[in-house]
Amino acid sequence: MASHDCDVVIIGGGPGGYAAALYAAAAGLTVVLVERDKVGGTCLHRGCIPAKEFLETAHVRRTLEHASEFGFRTGTTTSDFAVSQARKNSVVTTMFTGLTGLLKGRKVTVLEGTGRLESDLSVSLTDGADAGSTITAQHVILASGSVPRTIPGFDVDGTLVVTSDEFLDLTSLPERAAVIGGGAIGCEFASMLVDMGSSVTVLESMPSILTGCDKDVVAVVERAFKKRGMEIRTGVTLTGHTPNKKRTATTVHLDGSDDLEVDMIVVSVGRRPRTDDLMSEGTGVEINERGFVVADGYMRTANPRVFAVGDVVAGTPQLAHVGFAEAVVAIKTILGEPVTPVNYERVPWAIYSNPEVAFCGLTEAAAKERGYDVVVKKDPFGGNGRAQIIGDTVGTVKVIAEKRADGTAGQILGVHMAGPWVTEQLGAGYYAVNWEATAEEAAMLIQPHPSLSETFGETLLALAGRGIHVG
Amino acid sequence: MANVILPSLGESVTEGIVTRWMKQVGDFVERDEPLYEISTDKVDSEMPSPEAGVLLKIVVAEGDTVDVGGVVAVIGESTGAAPAVAAAPANDAPAASAPTSVAKESPAPVGSLASGVVLSPVVRRVLSDGGIDPRTVNGTGPGGSITRRDAESAVLRGPSGEIAVPLSNSQRRMAEHLSVVANATPQGFVAVEVDASLLDLVDALGRETRDGLVITDEAVLSLAAVRAMADFPMLNASFDQEFVVQSLSINPGFIRDVDGAGVVVPVVHAAASLALHAFVRRLHDVDERVATRQLTTDDLMGGTFSIQSAPSTTTVLTVPALLPGQTAVVSFGAARHVPVVQIIDGRPSIVVGRRVVVGVTFDHRVVDAALAAAYCERVGEILQSVAIESER
Repeated sequence: MASHDCDVVIIGGGPGGYAAALYAAAAGLTVVLVERDKVGGTCLHRGCIPAKEFLETAHVRRTLEHASEFGFRTGTTTSDFAVSQARKNSVVTTMFTGLTGLLKGRKVTVLEGTGRLESDLSVSLTDGADAGSTITAQHVILASGSVPRTIPGFDVDGTLVVTSDEFLDLTSLPERAAVIGGGAIGCEFASMLVDMGSSVTVLESMPSILTGCDKDVVAVVERAFKKRGMEIRTGVTLTGHTPNKKRTATTVHLDGSDDLEVDMIVVSVGRRPRTDDLMSEGTGVEINERGFVVADGYMRTANPRVFAVGDVVAGTPQLAHVGFAEAVVAIKTILGEPVTPVNYERVPWAIYSNPEVAFCGLTEAAAKERGYDVVVKKDPFGGNGRAQIIGDTVGTVKVIAEKRADGTAGQILGVHMAGPWVTEQLGAGYYAVNWEATAEEAAMLIQPHPSLSETFGETLLALAGRGIHVG
Repeated sequence: MANVILPSLGESVTEGIVTRWMKQVGDFVERDEPLYEISTDKVDSEMPSPEAGVLLKIVVAEGDTVDVGGVVAVIGESTGAAPAVAAAPANDAPAASAPTSVAKESPAPVGSLASGVVLSPVVRRVLSDGGIDPRTVNGTGPGGSITRRDAESAVLRGPSGEIAVPLSNSQRRMAEHLSVVANATPQGFVAVEVDASLLDLVDALGRETRDGLVITDEAVLSLAAVRAMADFPMLNASFDQEFVVQSLSINPGFIRDVDGAGVVVPVVHAAASLALHAFVRRLHDVDERVATRQLTTDDLMGGTFSIQSAPSTTTVLTVPALLPGQTAVVSFGAARHVPVVQIIDGRPSIVVGRRVVVGVTFDHRVVDAALAAAYCERVGEILQSVAIESER
């Protein structure tokens, strides 16, 4: 079969892999990208993009429900989720076509098949249209991504028990759903389902949903979810489930808590790396006990000719935009250009539930754990003019700064937001944290009026010592 | 199609770092045309291509280490793919080397802010308000980037006016070798001014040898240093705990700066019996190899003492450091025309003379100042007696 020789070969065409391919090609390197399914990866086909499209569907429904407040009489809202699914597919297809064209335009060779790193550092392809091909390259980038994790006793059948993979292909929604796992993905699905009229119960083994988020932000989301009728059970232990005879519904069993009858179980308990059979013996690349590829800040694995980016990398957030950033670091390192590694403690996080969550930097609890004395200010969206105008005032902005010896707020350590469109507002907070601004340095900059971002501006003013609207 | 193998670079050299590729993949290369540059703990050399053809594949990237005998590249016809390279061509699959150790060779060395590494606006302002050059700050952030805390503590310490520049390979070698000597060896130094009017004779007769090469001041002075050495075996020696190992062969090493980046000391072997014209030729040959970066390890091995010539035409004297395994470094100032007092017709008169200061840095464990001074005097005597006319 065909053999290829190039500067960089990349296994995996998701955000990490395709970003590395495009960035390398832009620098004049010859690139072969190996993808087993479709370029765009989990993010475009089974993750970020389809999930957010569904959440926007739920948002449109909310808008319709509140239309009468603005004087529109729309009658009873009916929903055809098959049309929603088709619209999602059309968005995905448009982006897939765009990405395919972009790769072609940059002269990236895309091969179809499952890539495997051999001990001589060549990459061989099994299955797919290009099965049997071999690629030799100066550098290899592992970007094989991740797949949904499952839990024992809840075998995925695609109808009663689904993961995000199956959920995003549904053409109708369950009346009653249990969402196992109250992390970012679980909360997004739960939020979307409850907005679409489903009866939703979130089952979380930890003491709280959204572990890792600031507690004030979690409280906002929990309150909003419960107000919309969602049930949240935390600290639960799952023991299994029993489907009814016709397999139209199932009963979830919990240790120390009531059974729960639902029409669908959505399992969202995290993602595991896809490294099974990714490499043969003797590549020198280190895989940790959880199956992730170990890489340094420059994305180099233990074999200096092999790099890793994206979800497959050990100890880094599984976020598409982190994959993009890692791809740039890897290619610049390959090119020998100066580059600063990704600061994983300060990457932006975004959860597209209703209300949205966005944050960057340390939570209040994490800051205190690190030994910081902190100054904290919070400002709810209730007093924000734009929030009143759009009729969405649920949420808050919280900023955490290091406390100076004189008690005033110094360097900003974390920015945490819950509320309307906060995923679009985090940018300013992200800059403040990463540019290591102090409260007064950030507070002297102006936010436009009227805008949702004024809430962040007000919080900074208050943090710097004296607020206009906030104390 | 053929693998390009890293050849033997001398018996003590087992590996090298590829520091530069002169050709890109796809370029045509002639046989013996320089293909890549290799840096070992002895020397940096340009390596010639073993055959003509198209560079199909670079196996060892710039900055990577390769063992002697390892495959560094593949050369072949312009069509067809590169052959499968033998497993483990370079030192690049160390399963034992954890990424943490890899990270130490980060592209942006701590302390030196490589151009292109960005400063945050806040850090830039803090440093600029404090009058601190960012290049003088050791960053503790990812990849050595400067955090606000780094900037603020740098401002508290005040401007240092110092920049940490990473050592080049040759500087690192020089630092290692010379500090070993400096730490282990008590050194002494003497300098004697001697008559160098022989050089006026060289000027009068013409500076060309029978081979058409230029007779430099250095060549004449060095030849005198070599011949004088025959009477001072203690200076042509190596101190070894219980013994002074005197060399029967006189092999002067010449301390050479390479592009200001470091020092190499190529050796003219068995120089004692050479006539001036032959000595000039041998010195000329090693200097050519320095200039074209084609020194071999053999060129650098076996020196029994070293010579530091005047680095400028107005240098009075230099005090070079001892090199490892030697008991003496001879240094020359510039051979300058100076006023000299002579007794003419029973009266002291001032005439134009030519003088050079001969210095010796010596290993004080085995050599004393009197012996070193006697050697310098001897260099002066020989300088009076070289038969320029017949030897050139």
